[in-house]
This record gives sequence, C-alpha cells and structure tokens, in this order.
Amino acid sequence: MLDMQDISRVYRTDLVETHALRGLNLSVDAGEFVAVTGPSGSGKTTFLNIAGLLESATDGRYLLDGVDVNTLNDNQRSRIRNEKIGFIFQSFNLIPDLNIFDNVDVPLRYRGFGGKERRQRIEKALEQVGLAARMKHLPSQLSGGQQQRAAIARALAGNPGFLLADEPTGNLDSLMARQVMDLLEEINANGTTIVMVTHDPELARRAHRNVQLLDGQLASPDLFARPAAADDVDLQPVA
Amino acid sequence: MELRPILSAMWRNRTGSVLVAMQIALTLAIVVNCMFMTKERVDFVNRPSGMDIENIVVADSVGFGSDYEHDRTIDEDLRLLRELPGVIAVSPTRSIPMSGSGSANGFAGSRDDDAPRHTANYYFVNEDILDALGVKLESGRAFRDTEVRRADDPDLDRLSPQVIITRALADKLFDGEPAVGRLMYDGLGESSEVVGVIEHMFGAWVSWSDFDQVAMFPRRTGGTQTRYLIRAEPGRRDALVPLVETTLSEANRTRLVRNVRTMEEVVSNSYEGDRAIATTLSVAVVLLLSVTGLGIVGLASFTVRQRTKQIGTRRAIGARKRDIIRYFLLENWLMTTIGIVIGTALTIGINYGLASAFEVEQLDYVFLVIGMFLLWLLGFLAVVAPARRAAKVSPAIATRTV
Ligand SMILES: Nc1ncnc2c1ncn2[C@@H]1O[C@H](COP(=O)(O)OP(=O)(O)O)[C@@H](O)[C@H]1O
Ligand SMILES: [Mg+2]
Repeated sequence: MLDMQDISRVYRTDLVETHALRGLNLSVDAGEFVAVTGPSGSGKTTFLNIAGLLESATDGRYLLDGVDVNTLNDNQRSRIRNEKIGFIFQSFNLIPDLNIFDNVDVPLRYRGFGGKERRQRIEKALEQVGLAARMKHLPSQLSGGQQQRAAIARALAGNPGFLLADEPTGNLDSLMARQVMDLLEEINANGTTIVMVTHDPELARRAHRNVQLLDGQLASPDLFARPAAADDVDLQPVA
Repeated sequence: MELRPILSAMWRNRTGSVLVAMQIALTLAIVVNCMFMTKERVDFVNRPSGMDIENIVVADSVGFGSDYEHDRTIDEDLRLLRELPGVIAVSPTRSIPMSGSGSANGFAGSRDDDAPRHTANYYFVNEDILDALGVKLESGRAFRDTEVRRADDPDLDRLSPQVIITRALADKLFDGEPAVGRLMYDGLGESSEVVGVIEHMFGAWVSWSDFDQVAMFPRRTGGTQTRYLIRAEPGRRDALVPLVETTLSEANRTRLVRNVRTMEEVVSNSYEGDRAIATTLSVAVVLLLSVTGLGIVGLASFTVRQRTKQIGTRRAIGARKRDIIRYFLLENWLMTTIGIVIGTALTIGINYGLASAFEVEQLDYVFLVIGMFLLWLLGFLAVVAPARRAAKVSPAIATRTV
C-alpha cells in the first residue's frame, strides 16, 4: 500500500542544508501496524509527512496504493489526504473554537457528504472512541486522553485505509497512553493500516513491525542493540 | 456551506470581530450621511443660475480727481468694450449677481398698504442686460436705450418707470397672473411697470432662500463708481480679461480699473464655504473607509497568523487551498454583514437626529445602498490578501508546531 524507494528530503535555508531523509527505502503492506522509532531529529516526522502527502520528497519515488504521488497536483493531494488518510498528531490539533462534534465534522464537510451522512459517521466514530456523551464539549473541556480520542474519531470518521500517527501518546500520561494504544490496536484489527511514530519502546513493542530511523536512513538491525522486541523487527502482519 | 461552524468559531473569538463589526457599522452610518450631505452641497453649488456665467467678464471702475466725468466715462467705456473682439454685449451694473454683495428692497404687487411685500435683489442696468447676462426673456420685452436714465438725470433717484423681473418674483407679486403691464410698488408708493419677465436668474446672496427674486431697473449708478458685465462669445472670455483691463485703463486716466476677472471666479468665491464642506466631507469619507479597510486587513491578518496551526491541520485533513480562502471570505463576509445591518439602523438614526436638529434633508436611501455596497466591497478587498496568505500555509505545519 505504501512503497518508498530511495526517498530523500533536504531542507534548505540560506545558511544550512539539512538532510532529513537520505535514500530511505520502506514499504508497508495493507493491514500492517508499523511502529517507527529513532532518536530525535532522525527524520521520523519528515518520513510521516511525506507518507501522508503533507510535504514532498526532494528525491525518490513514492507509490501510495500504486499511484506515484509526484504526478498529483495540490488539489488531488488534498483529496487523497481527505479520503484515504487519517492523521493523529502529538498535540491533537483539534480546532479549539469548535466542539467535538464539529471537529469530527471538519474533514467530512471537505469531503462533501450530506448532513445526514455526516451526522451518522460522526456519531459512530465518537461511539467507537467512547466520547458519544461529550460531543457538545469544547476540546478545552476534555482531558488530554479524551482530546486524543476525539482526534482519532476525526481521523476515523472518513473510513481511511491508512492511519498515520506522530507520537500520538507523546503528550499523555502512561494510563491514557495505554488507552489510546488499545484503541489503535482495535482500529488496526478492523483492517486499517497504521504507521505510528513513537519514542516509547513499550508501545513500539505492541506493533507488528518496528522500523528504526537513524540519520534519515533505516538503521540496520544487526548494528544496533535492540530492546526486547528486537525479534519482531521483520515479522509480517499476523492477519 | 459551513456558516454555522464559522459563526460559532467567530462567537468564541468575538472581541476582535465585534470591534471591527462596530467599526464597520459606524463607518457605514458616517459615510452614508457624509455622502448624502456632500451630494446636497454639490447640488446646491450646481443649481442652474439662469445666466451664462462661463462667458462673462466683470470689471470695476472707480473715478477720482476733479476731472472725472461719470456719464462720459461710461459712454466711452461702453463704446470701447463693445468693439473688443468677441464681445456680445455689455451692461453697466451696480453690483455683480451672485457675488455676495448687492441691494434688496421690498416690493408689492398693489398699492394697498396691507399688500404683502416681497424682497427682491435689484440691479441698475442698461438696454443690453439680457444679452450681457445671457438670461432668457419669457414674456414682454427688453429695455429701450431711451429708457435708461443717465447718472445726471435729475429723476435718477426716483423709482424707474420700467422694470424687468424674474418669474419667481412675478409669481409672488401677482399670484401667478400675467405680470407684463402690471405695476410694482416700492415702500414709498412709487411704482414701475413690468415690461418684461425673465425665466430665471439669481440675485446677490447664494444662501438666501429668495435668491431667485430679482428686479432690474434701466438706469445708471450715481456717484463715481460703476461695474461692467461683459459677455463674450464662447471660448473668447479668457483672452478678453487682459484686454478689458488695458483698454479701460488707457482710455481714461481719471479713474481706476480694478478687479477685472471672470464671473466664474466671482461665483466660485461665493460658494467657497460650500465647496470646503463638500471637500472636507469627501476626505472624511475616504479616510474613514481607508481606516476601516485597514482595520479589516489587520484583524484578518491577525486571525490568519493566530490560526496558522489550525489552517495547517485543516489542510492536512483534506481542505483544498480554495476551501481555506472560502473560509476566510465567508467569515469576513459574516462580520461585515453584521456590521452593515447594525450600521443601517445607525445611519437612519443619525440622519433622523441631524434632520431634526439641523436643516438636513431626509436621507436619500440610494446613499444607504451605495454605502452598503461600498463596505461589502471594502470588506472583500481587505480580506483577499490575508486569505491568500492563509491558503499558502503548508499542511506540514500540522506536525511541525506544538
Ligand atoms: N522545515 C524544516 N526546515 C529545516 N529543517 C527541518 C525542517 N523540518 C525538520 N527539519 C530538520 O530535519 C531533521 C529531521 O527532523 P524530523 O523529521 O522532525 O525528526 P524527528 O521527527 O525524528 O525528530 C531535523 O534535523 C530537523 O531539524
Ligand atoms: Mg518528530
């Protein structure tokens, strides 16, 4: 479903060139749950942004569901983000002025669904994350874990095939983090492919496959001491 | 499309929007009333005068010294002026119409003591006055040269036996009945026969309500001063001004020739105050619109900057650039419209207040419609640049900011 060949990404400013990714090769199959780890600055977010069409690679080839994303224009990329991809952000990125219901509604309106369909989808997604009773609340009236679940509902409401999460538990305490992780596992079990960036080795262990980035490249498993889950590295999905 | 969520987001951040909406409301109210008052001033200045003001040159002559002979000077001046190239007609006069200086007296349409008296500006002119002013005779006739009393006429200071009056005065004096052949009485019981009625002309004072009640008597001005009204063929007026000056000065050294100028200048001076008001009001309108436009730009830019992360997130979850632009246009349109609705009530209120406190007319609602349209346009133009900046926010912002 996701196939990256020789992807590199260079950030240029007047003073410096930062090579955030250097010839990354990675593929993710449908239904997988992949955890991406690596030290800070190793290019995890950059990888996720390129995977989610939030930005473009400087070089290399990226096929998403067989489509070369380089051939897409800005509107087409927006459409794919809207229909095929769900995003979960470290700081939730809910719109503070809209209640939870309206937040989940945002991508559905861009999709052009009618009012009735939107309402059904919003209610179903909020039920799935356990927030049906809070839909009139503003984000600021919810705990961090609840906000992240609301954000997951927003990502799920459009039934994307592909969920991208950048440190989804980074701002949560461990109990809430575990709840969010339970939810992601449940979503994955229902068939959604998930790529999750995380710092937390314990959470990474719960994924089907771990990928480690170092300096914008895949770290070779042979060269690094791995946590206890090192054996999982090349496992295929348990589907 | 998405009015409800936009409104609720606006409501939760209402401080800025409320302030700018109030600014828009006030701007509408002030701009509409200013435009209306400007229009009133402009109409006032542009009232048809009945005279061919653009083609008339005026000049003053003041005699001095013991050699000065008044009638002879006037005879000679008239002869010389008529011979100047492009001159249509010349008449002496005591004062220049619409100059802000002149004389007025009360006249009645019958000898009865209780007959109502009507005030009229009056002028001392000669047989060529109709052509010299370019006024239109409606009925009767012009003066004859034999009717014009010279300055040395012993009866000079008695009321002239003939008079030409404007239709406005005739209607007042004779209740709309034909005026030619009727007698017009002054306060001393002397009378003049109306020999002609002219359609329209203005008298001395532009802001006087009976400005169009004018009488003209066929006589010269006594003493040593006179003025001339010299009407030129179209396009020849400006060449005439220096020529009149030198011709009169050289012909007779026992008097001073002063203030040779166009009647247009004279009239324009009289309306100076009105034009200043109109200019001030227009400048106020432009300034106010600019300040309000800047206010909208400022608020929109601030909002865009404040919502950078939100915009990036919207882009990340599927908004196209045009969705972002539309969001800000709609939000701004809502705010502008709320301002306009409040402003409309305010506009009518202010006009009502002005109309009862001062002599301001009832507002012409065309100006309200123009004002609404202007503010809508202003609101739209002011938000275009900030909205385009918003559309340029990268979706990558969503993961890059905390
Ligand atoms: N917009 C940018 N401009 C310049 N450098 C950037 C930008 N975004 C990321 N980088 C740099 O690219 C490298 C990789 O960043 P990132 O992908 O965010 O790493 P991670 O998510 O693994 O911490 C870092 O050195 C970072 O400073
Ligand atoms: Mg990161």
